Amino acid sequence: MKAIKYLSVLALSLFTATSCMNDFDEPDFKEPPFGNNEIGEANTTIADLKAEYKSTISANGAKEVTDETIIEGVVVANDETGNVYKQFIINDETGAIIIGVNDVGLYATLPIGQRVRIDCKGLHVGGYGYMAQVGGLYEGSIGRMGKSVFPKHVRLIGAPDKTQPEMTPEVIDESFFTNENKDNLAKFVRLENVEITEADGTALWAPEELAYNNVVERHIKMGKTNLVLRMSTYADFANEAMPDGKLNINGVLTRFKDYWQFVISSTSDIEQIAE
Amino acid sequence: MVKLSEFALFMSLCFACITGVNAQGQSTKDGLIKQPPARQLYADTLLNKDAKVDNVITISDDNNESYTFSEGQLGDDDDYAGTTAMVSSNDDYFLSEVGYLFSPMRFRIRAYESMYNNVYANGVMLNDAERGQFSYGMIGGLNDATRNKEGATFLEHNRFGFSTIGGASNINMRASQYAAGNKMSLVGCNRNYLARLMYTGSTGLMENGWAFTASASYRWANEGVIEGTFYNSLGYFLAAEKKINDQHSISIATWGSPTERAQQGAATEEAYWLAGSHYYNPNWGYQDGEKRNARVVNSFEPSLLLTWDYKINDDMQLTTSLFGKYSMYSTTALGWNGNAADPRPNYYQNLPSAAYDVWDLEYTPTDDEYNDYMTRYNYWKASKANRQLNWDYMYFANSQANAVGGECLYYVERRHNDQLALNLGSTLNIEYNKSNTGTIGLNLGTTKGMHYKTMSDLLGADKYTDIDKFSVGDFGPSSDYVQNDVDNPNRQIKEDDVFGYDYDLYVNKANLFYQHQFNKGIFHLFAGANVEGTTMERYGHMRNGRAMEFSKGSSGTAYFLGGGAKLGMVFTFNAYNTLSLGAGFENRAPIAYNSFIAPRMRNDFVQGLENENIFSAEASYRIAAGPVTAKFTGYYTMLNDLVEQNAFYNDLQSQFTYLTMTGVNKVHYGVEAAIVYNVTSALSFNAVASVGNAEYTDNAKGFLISENEKVVMNDKVYMDGVKVDGTPLTALSLGVDYNVNGWYLSANVNYYDDIYIDASKYARLESVVGKPVIDATTGKEVLNLPSQFKGRGDFMVDASIGKSINLRGGKRLNINLSLNNILNNQKMITGGYEQNRGDSYADGEARTYKFSKNPFLYYANAFNAYLNIGFRF
Repeated sequence: MKAIKYLSVLALSLFTATSCMNDFDEPDFKEPPFGNNEIGEANTTIADLKAEYKSTISANGAKEVTDETIIEGVVVANDETGNVYKQFIINDETGAIIIGVNDVGLYATLPIGQRVRIDCKGLHVGGYGYMAQVGGLYEGSIGRMGKSVFPKHVRLIGAPDKTQPEMTPEVIDESFFTNENKDNLAKFVRLENVEITEADGTALWAPEELAYNNVVERHIKMGKTNLVLRMSTYADFANEAMPDGKLNINGVLTRFKDYWQFVISSTSDIEQIAE
Repeated sequence: MVKLSEFALFMSLCFACITGVNAQGQSTKDGLIKQPPARQLYADTLLNKDAKVDNVITISDDNNESYTFSEGQLGDDDDYAGTTAMVSSNDDYFLSEVGYLFSPMRFRIRAYESMYNNVYANGVMLNDAERGQFSYGMIGGLNDATRNKEGATFLEHNRFGFSTIGGASNINMRASQYAAGNKMSLVGCNRNYLARLMYTGSTGLMENGWAFTASASYRWANEGVIEGTFYNSLGYFLAAEKKINDQHSISIATWGSPTERAQQGAATEEAYWLAGSHYYNPNWGYQDGEKRNARVVNSFEPSLLLTWDYKINDDMQLTTSLFGKYSMYSTTALGWNGNAADPRPNYYQNLPSAAYDVWDLEYTPTDDEYNDYMTRYNYWKASKANRQLNWDYMYFANSQANAVGGECLYYVERRHNDQLALNLGSTLNIEYNKSNTGTIGLNLGTTKGMHYKTMSDLLGADKYTDIDKFSVGDFGPSSDYVQNDVDNPNRQIKEDDVFGYDYDLYVNKANLFYQHQFNKGIFHLFAGANVEGTTMERYGHMRNGRAMEFSKGSSGTAYFLGGGAKLGMVFTFNAYNTLSLGAGFENRAPIAYNSFIAPRMRNDFVQGLENENIFSAEASYRIAAGPVTAKFTGYYTMLNDLVEQNAFYNDLQSQFTYLTMTGVNKVHYGVEAAIVYNVTSALSFNAVASVGNAEYTDNAKGFLISENEKVVMNDKVYMDGVKVDGTPLTALSLGVDYNVNGWYLSANVNYYDDIYIDASKYARLESVVGKPVIDATTGKEVLNLPSQFKGRGDFMVDASIGKSINLRGGKRLNINLSLNNILNNQKMITGGYEQNRGDSYADGEARTYKFSKNPFLYYANAFNAYLNIGFRF
């Protein structure tokens, strides 16, 4: 029968023509498809950068970086859990600094342990509550750099690696809390044998009813010193109970005006000491 | 550097939107935006920049023979939506023309939803029992195999099944009913697909009592006219029939249309402006330099139909058909996990107008705001890649997470709506005497709908845990509440694994009907009645953490008993004047798809679920006077006690939310007219008009539940006066047809107006709208209700030219070229939707970005052509 002959020829040719149009191979990245891979070697340390802009920082001002200024550090705090928002913190052997970016989900390219270079030229350095920050200009003060500005100023170096030396926080004791040290924050530190004042085994990290501007201030008691532990209601763990008892905590020491502040980006930074 | 002129244009556009669209409940007649002088400049810029031909809802077919489903109705863009087809048993010029004529604007007859149109094959119902609609994707590309059909409107007699207000049609799939011979056709067009090859062959009824028919087609586009889309679709149809003797005939047909196609997405006017085209498609992006679309539909509904025709005697004929299908339908979508940023290029935070309130013309932006605006603007304008998805970025983010043992950030999920259906249809046609005939029929159907999602592509990620990211912030990551399946906590998901939700819907339906017609002299009477029963049940396969006690297992069964009756009369006064009158009502079960309050996670039915009530009446007059024939119809339809459901992402609560409305009442009314003036046997002019209104007549009860919540909130939805969307409520056409020496030419000028977009039910909730305020001038209480967005009314011109050539040996060649939207009107929306987000934060503070002023819009296709060459041999 003619029809069947025609049909079988057509069917055969159609089936060979029909193959999935939506198959894609995983891209193989020779260099990161994010950031500016042209940024050269670091020419300054984080401590030097803070020193250079010390007067601007302490005046809560903001100043554009006009010289070729490249810093390099490893990400020690980011927005993965939502406790840190629109910023991340990098650390080198001289100290840590906050980088403000007007974007969410920064941890996508900047996981903890990622080494980065920041080309500061064209960005601003300044102080917010006397706290040093790299970012953009916002109403004459230091703010976050724009989402589309950021990739031009960052270069990712290598794969994230949590075993790098910059990932080891400095263990500090109460003697650290001097005015001189306060002027050189941020600092990636480890607090040992401390307690969260409000923790009782059931109290939550950041319940909405206690929040002001989505922030709940908890406190860390370290000997005679009280640090503000800044917790966001947007953190994934905001409605989980705080661990009580003695703790070792890794995090970034910052300040707001004259208060010492402590920032954690995840509860995995906290270790409960067995009693 | 700073594009001040364009910025000014955007500002004036914004101004225009405010003045044009926001006048309480009104919008400008001349379209989207009222015209300050700069607006025209903007429009010109927009239209000339990307002057390529774009998009399409594909339409048209081989020839201008009898009315056929157009490709648009075959659901190229959406297997469910699209123009509804109504076929009449009479030679009704209006019904035979409008489906094709107005399909570029996705016209729906009388603005009815497609669930009110029943499609049968050999007397068994094919509509999907869960959603009530017929899936045109089921017969995609099988135009020749499904062309042979009879139809009836709601108030006409038919011999195959009970019709609802949108009418019914019955496809004849008996192998012997296809013309013997072969037909090959080739289509070239610039639409969703670029080429179609189709073959249909039939033996006709052979001397041995057998008949065979087969059809196959392939539709293809590596990239359709919309950028980033593709089309890959095969169709097959095989039928055999054996005429056993004069009384019995058995036939079998099987068909399917495995299809893979990428979709176009809607965007806001601002995004279209930035992209320089109304056909900008945000769904695709580059991966390693290649275009990849995130929204891909895969569908395949292999179907089988068995029919037994039994001629009991000269006066009684019994037709019984059994239909079964296993449909596999899935759509992919991008997902983002944890606290990853929304990857969609047109996410509102990426748009310039999120920098400051561009709608407040009194407001002067600060330098920072202005710079922010310009940075965003320049980013959009800098390259095409910036306006699209960035697949490389998403892969890279996942590889970064892999390096530190983290969770997947970006993935592609596949949402499945599979269905196993078995329907039986049996009709007995009886001729009592010369004046009286009757049809008694029974339709039984059982359907299992399987709804779940699978991991389509982890985009290189190693780790995905099946928890609800929206619940994590509320309950903490270690809580049971965040688990999508508490019985399998923290399940690790690999590609092709089921995750998120997994449930079945069981729907059983029975429908018994009787229709009678009586003819005497000038009088024709038609009467029909039916009784229907429906059961529905949800069966959950996962124990959802937010609904631990009522998500797994059976929901229990809900029963609905309904029925209806209708009566039609025709007075054929003489050969020139015919009057038809009719009315009917129907009490029918709500559709299962809308009957559960949050079907992805919970077993509970919508509160106060009850039957829908439908009443429809119409009158028409047909007149023939010399060379002019005309028919005028007026209709009035009330749809009461409907249940409707929306599901959307609620930004205010950062949750996926279901909003169900009950007690929904609507009215559809209007007039339809068709006038044909036959100047000579070769030349005729015609005019077609459909002018009507379709709107909600009352406010509705609302039930709101978010996927990370346990409690249903009751609310009120201000729906009174909201118009039915996605179809022009006014459609007019003037046309001319000319036939000579085997050539046929036709041209039409069409005018469309009153095109509304889908109103956000969320924005009309009492809890969102707030309390009434006292109007300062009138002293009356008024509500601050959003006005529904309305598209501009405008003209479109279509034409077609064809030639039929008879060759030796009875062979015939048909060539037809259809040209649509010849004036290349790129300013007409076919529909769209308002955003389900408010303009203020939870604490009442105003947002910078105005969701209420940025609806998502779809535009009608630009100029397009469709060339079809058919060869019969």
